[in-house]
Amino acid sequence: MASSPEPAAAPPGSTRTGPGRLLIAVYALFALAASARAGVQIATKFSNAPVAYLLSAFAAVVYILATVTFVVGSPTARRIAVVSCSVELAGVLAIGTWSLADPATFPDATVWSGYGSGYGFVPLVLPVFGLLWLRRNTRLAETQRTTAASAGDAGQAAGGGADHSVRSVGDAE
Amino acid sequence: MSCVNGVVPTTIIVAGLALAGYALLMTARNRRMSVPLLAALGVLEILLLVQVGIIVARLAGGGRPASLPTLIGYLIAMPLVPVAAAFWGLLERSRWGPAVVAVAGLVAAVLMVRLHQIWPVIRV
Repeated sequence: MASSPEPAAAPPGSTRTGPGRLLIAVYALFALAASARAGVQIATKFSNAPVAYLLSAFAAVVYILATVTFVVGSPTARRIAVVSCSVELAGVLAIGTWSLADPATFPDATVWSGYGSGYGFVPLVLPVFGLLWLRRNTRLAETQRTTAASAGDAGQAAGGGADHSVRSVGDAE
Repeated sequence: MSCVNGVVPTTIIVAGLALAGYALLMTARNRRMSVPLLAALGVLEILLLVQVGIIVARLAGGGRPASLPTLIGYLIAMPLVPVAAAFWGLLERSRWGPAVVAVAGLVAAVLMVRLHQIWPVIRV
């Protein structure tokens, strides 16, 4: 199998290590870029394109929320991250469509205009990778918890179920 | 002066893309952060600081872009990119450390293009 022996050094359910390291870097970048952009736009020329600038600010909040929850990585943070990544994906698709259908509302671009075309479409793929990483990560955390629990009652019938889930994670790797 | 003005951003774009390519290769080959990657980030940092110096000199000379706050934001953020990437990449003990460095290289290149859009006197 091609699966490299990824070290089990990562703490159970950490969304911060491995691919998460890259995701957080990109999310932090977009959090910074979107908030700086929205801040300057709202402060200096809000009346030019109020809808676009408010949506930029909303995108900034979503990016900040995703960055923070990925860094924290607790079960609660992961649930919030799933919601914010979903909102992000819905936002890119909705604003992307809206900006193409009704360009008059967007005299100035937002991060999500044209499905993020001004940012190399990264805003479109980022939430997808975020959700995939969260799903894999949550499964991994659950398996580790099951394995740890079944270690105590090794002789019991429940052990079979745990074995099965360990194997399925190995395949997913 | 105008000659140097165009050379530095172009060098940064080439260096940034080369760094991104090398770092992605390291990710593909399952390598961790290495001294060559850190050295390359150091070179990128120096180039970006030179670029900041050139822009500050132009501002001191009386030139003004359309959006001064945006330019100042870029001047602050630019030199932080390689530093943040080195810090965040070193925390990672897997192939994803170099992947973070690759992002920094790409970002440096994109920043040069954006700088030109913010203030066209900064040629690429």
